[in-house]
Amino acid sequence: MPDIETFMHIGLPHYLFLSAILFSFGMIAVLLRKNVIVMLMGIELMLNAVNLSFIAFSKESGSLNGHIMVFFVMTIAAAEAGVGLALVVSIYKKFHEVNIRFFEHLKG
Amino acid sequence: MLWEAIGFYSLALFLLFFAFKTITVPNPIHAALYLVLTMIGVAAVFFHLGAEFIAGVQMIVYAGAVMVLFVMVLMLFDLRAEIRSFSRGLFSGALKVMSAAMLAGLALGAANSSVAILEAPAAPLGGGDITRQLGIMLYTKYLYAFEILGILLLVVAVGVVSVSRIKGGTHARH
Repeated sequence: MPDIETFMHIGLPHYLFLSAILFSFGMIAVLLRKNVIVMLMGIELMLNAVNLSFIAFSKESGSLNGHIMVFFVMTIAAAEAGVGLALVVSIYKKFHEVNIRFFEHLKG
Repeated sequence: MLWEAIGFYSLALFLLFFAFKTITVPNPIHAALYLVLTMIGVAAVFFHLGAEFIAGVQMIVYAGAVMVLFVMVLMLFDLRAEIRSFSRGLFSGALKVMSAAMLAGLALGAANSSVAILEAPAAPLGGGDITRQLGIMLYTKYLYAFEILGILLLVVAVGVVSVSRIKGGTHARH
């Protein structure tokens, strides 16, 4: 049984726990939701959770490499959101729907 | 110590509440707005961790640019009623939630057991001039990565325009 000191002294494990829970929320959004845009939002949530753990580890190890990594991940995430939303727009132009049950069988 | 703990727990509570609302509200616009609040909460956690520059970038890039992009794309569509926003099937849904919970448990266990073997920091991050150190690192050690990132953004900008202008296709409704 962890004592009260474990709860009160905020360290690396607390941030890692928060990051893990946020990541699983994003994963649930990607798995359970049917709207493509909300699925993209789940991906963004997962990327944010990973960034959080990068920053926490960076603070713990006293090195700035984690900050650099987060900077790059943010840039890639912005590019990924742009490409994903462009695909959603082109899907909407073809199917007039953004719910994945209408284009589950993408052929050819 | 006490105030730090109170700040962290209240921040974590808000963050998890907004993230939960993001993935459960049926209206995608509301999900996007809750996601903005989640991003701002993550930026606050970054600030709490002493990463001021990353917190600012998070606010500008995510809460500003990316979420405005999401909301504008949502406004393009005619989403009056989201009839079935969750995937059907109680069993498969429970299975998916369970798999996510298993992943979270795995990550928690890994975090719990890996914290003990981390070495103590050689020199704690100096407060105040982290942004300066970050800029120096970005333009010396990681210069090539930074330039390649710029090329990637250019390619993505061109690719996005060309993808969203595609016409026709095998499933097109004429």
